[in-house]
Amino acid sequence: MVPVEYYLVLSAAVFSIGLFGLLTRENALLFLMSVELMLNAANINFIAFSLQWGNLTGQVMSLFVMGLAAAEVAVGIGIILVLYRNFKDVDVTVPQSMRW
Amino acid sequence: MVTAPPLTPTFLLGLTALAVLTYDSVWPDSTDGSVLTGISVVGSLASLAAAGWFLTAGTGLATDGVSLYADAVVVDGMSLFFTALFAAVTILVSLASFDYFAGKENQGELFGLMLLAATGMSLMASANSLATAFVALELVSLPSYALVAFLKNDRGSSEAGLKYFLIGALSSAIFVFGVSLIYGATGSLLLPDVAAAFESGLGDRVGIAGVGVLMVAGGVAFKAAAVPFHFWAPEAYEGAPAPVSAFLSSASKAAGFALAFRVFVVGFPLGPAASAGIDWALLFQVLAVATMVLGNFAAATQDEVKRMLAYSSIGHAGYVLIGLAALSAEASTNGDVMGAAMAHLFVYGFMNTGAFLFVALAENWGVGRRFEDYNGLGAEKPFAAVAMTAFLFSLAGVPPLGGFFSKLFLFAGAVEAGLWWLVVIAVINSSLSLFYYSRVVRALWFEEGDHDLSGAPTALYAALAVALIGTVVLLPGFGPVIETAQQAATALFA
Amino acid sequence: MNPWIAIGALAVVSVGIPVAMMAVSSLLRPSVPEQGKSAVYESGEIPTGTTRIRFNIQYYMVALLFVVFDIETVLIFPWTVIYRPALEGGASMTEVLAPMLVFIGVLVVGLVWAWRQGAVQWVSSPRALEEKTEANQ
Repeated sequence: MVPVEYYLVLSAAVFSIGLFGLLTRENALLFLMSVELMLNAANINFIAFSLQWGNLTGQVMSLFVMGLAAAEVAVGIGIILVLYRNFKDVDVTVPQSMRW
Repeated sequence: MVTAPPLTPTFLLGLTALAVLTYDSVWPDSTDGSVLTGISVVGSLASLAAAGWFLTAGTGLATDGVSLYADAVVVDGMSLFFTALFAAVTILVSLASFDYFAGKENQGELFGLMLLAATGMSLMASANSLATAFVALELVSLPSYALVAFLKNDRGSSEAGLKYFLIGALSSAIFVFGVSLIYGATGSLLLPDVAAAFESGLGDRVGIAGVGVLMVAGGVAFKAAAVPFHFWAPEAYEGAPAPVSAFLSSASKAAGFALAFRVFVVGFPLGPAASAGIDWALLFQVLAVATMVLGNFAAATQDEVKRMLAYSSIGHAGYVLIGLAALSAEASTNGDVMGAAMAHLFVYGFMNTGAFLFVALAENWGVGRRFEDYNGLGAEKPFAAVAMTAFLFSLAGVPPLGGFFSKLFLFAGAVEAGLWWLVVIAVINSSLSLFYYSRVVRALWFEEGDHDLSGAPTALYAALAVALIGTVVLLPGFGPVIETAQQAATALFA
Repeated sequence: MNPWIAIGALAVVSVGIPVAMMAVSSLLRPSVPEQGKSAVYESGEIPTGTTRIRFNIQYYMVALLFVVFDIETVLIFPWTVIYRPALEGGASMTEVLAPMLVFIGVLVVGLVWAWRQGAVQWVSSPRALEEKTEANQ
């Protein structure tokens, strides 16, 4: 069996890639993809630990995470669409009608 | 003897949302919101009544609590207390939405989303498992994103929606990663089991658990609009339609705190956690100071009323964080100070909603957003201006208004717990807040202004009146509120 | 023997086979450059434009509904796994079936609502019609 630390390293790497993408990308769609990466990093953890602890809690939780990730994307793309209509761009740094 | 299911208040909110959607399916093209408002108000009132009845009628729920669905959900004094608050805010906001969104399209969506978010908040207060907590958190977040971006032809609204969504998606990813680490360290998602694992020692998994706790705190800080995930708050509150800002800044914030109270107190007991090096009370002390200083100082430099209220809402999150920061492993004051924080959230639910509803009223009249634009409103619309004055002074904590008493109990609890330095900072901030709140009051009453105001929208006025009653009349009735809150909080530590 | 050696060997072989096939075929095949080979394949039709076209926004609504309802099946899977064992373990039919019926019922309310809002209704967009007639001329 592959030791659980390896999965932790993998998930931490995937999470960090997602976080990096999220901080550096300006395209809202790439931003969404980065968030998906971060959520899936959590899924890797859930499934690896589920195997390690021998209970199914983690696997069921990962199903919930998948379901909610889909819902989040659905809402997110809707908002990005509205943004595109109003600003003619999906660059997240363009809308600056309010001070940060 | 409880004959109704213990989750009745939550169910009622959810069923009301479904009823709104069903009505909207039958008459999809209606732009008349009166029936929708009626359904929402009646449903939320029923939920409020059920929660109040469970709390007071000696059903045993308030003191003992019951856990349902294999311990995934628990109904106790704290969950009922917060559910009552969410239902009350939903009533106020529904009433205000009737006038604010009059004649607009898609009102069914508005009320449906608002009620679904309220259901999620109520579930958040009941969550006894990190899985339930995550699902409930998303059930609050997803409708909130859509609500903020509700005015789809308005650039400010869609920009606010985007920023809220981006930070929300980031923080929920961080939250769920934290949950996965907690699961890895303890082998369970149920809070009592997590606590048991903490108590029996984590061994070499302490590192994982520590990072997990930190990330869960991050997710909660987003909902509560506390540092370091507060960036969305000024944007979202400013750009969103004012009733939605009212809803988010009071109900959604309280939901974040409800989750934080239960997860940290029940799931990560301070004694074993601190001795393992995960001293989250220290973390919350730092966050409380940072949040209230940042919120209040930024609020003092604003020149738009709505944005000032947004920053002041961050400041209030800092005060409430004292409720977590002042906890310690063996102290008997834990229940008191956390109960005071809950009571402050309750009063805040009325006064802050009321203040944002006055902004909604001003937007409805077509008055501008800046302080100067409010000049002379007091002479023309005395009732609304009196209500706004009461809300602002209550927010600042001027005696004898509701906000004063809740702050008093909160600060006294913190002093008892030995955190006098935190209280000093809080009091300094509180007096600074009096300065920027009174700028609005001065504009309302002491400046000359010229407005052409059309009428007094009935439902908005009714909502203002209810919020005013909540703020002012809670003052003699403050005893029961603080008692219920402290009793519920103490039960959590048992 | 280290079990990782097997995985490494599998990786080497799985990369090696396709590379070897491509290398061998490129050495053996005759080279006949012809225009038809490099054309975009569109199921036998002659291509009419580039791939970078704008889709009608209504595809988005349908796709969105698909994603949401498709993912909900994920939540039904665990239920199907425990359904039979729970019945054999002595749980009553209503206990096992009712929660899923409530879940589906909530989804149905949502679907009916989306339907009545016209989310799946295909309205002809003026721009699409215009482009179609232009293409035919």
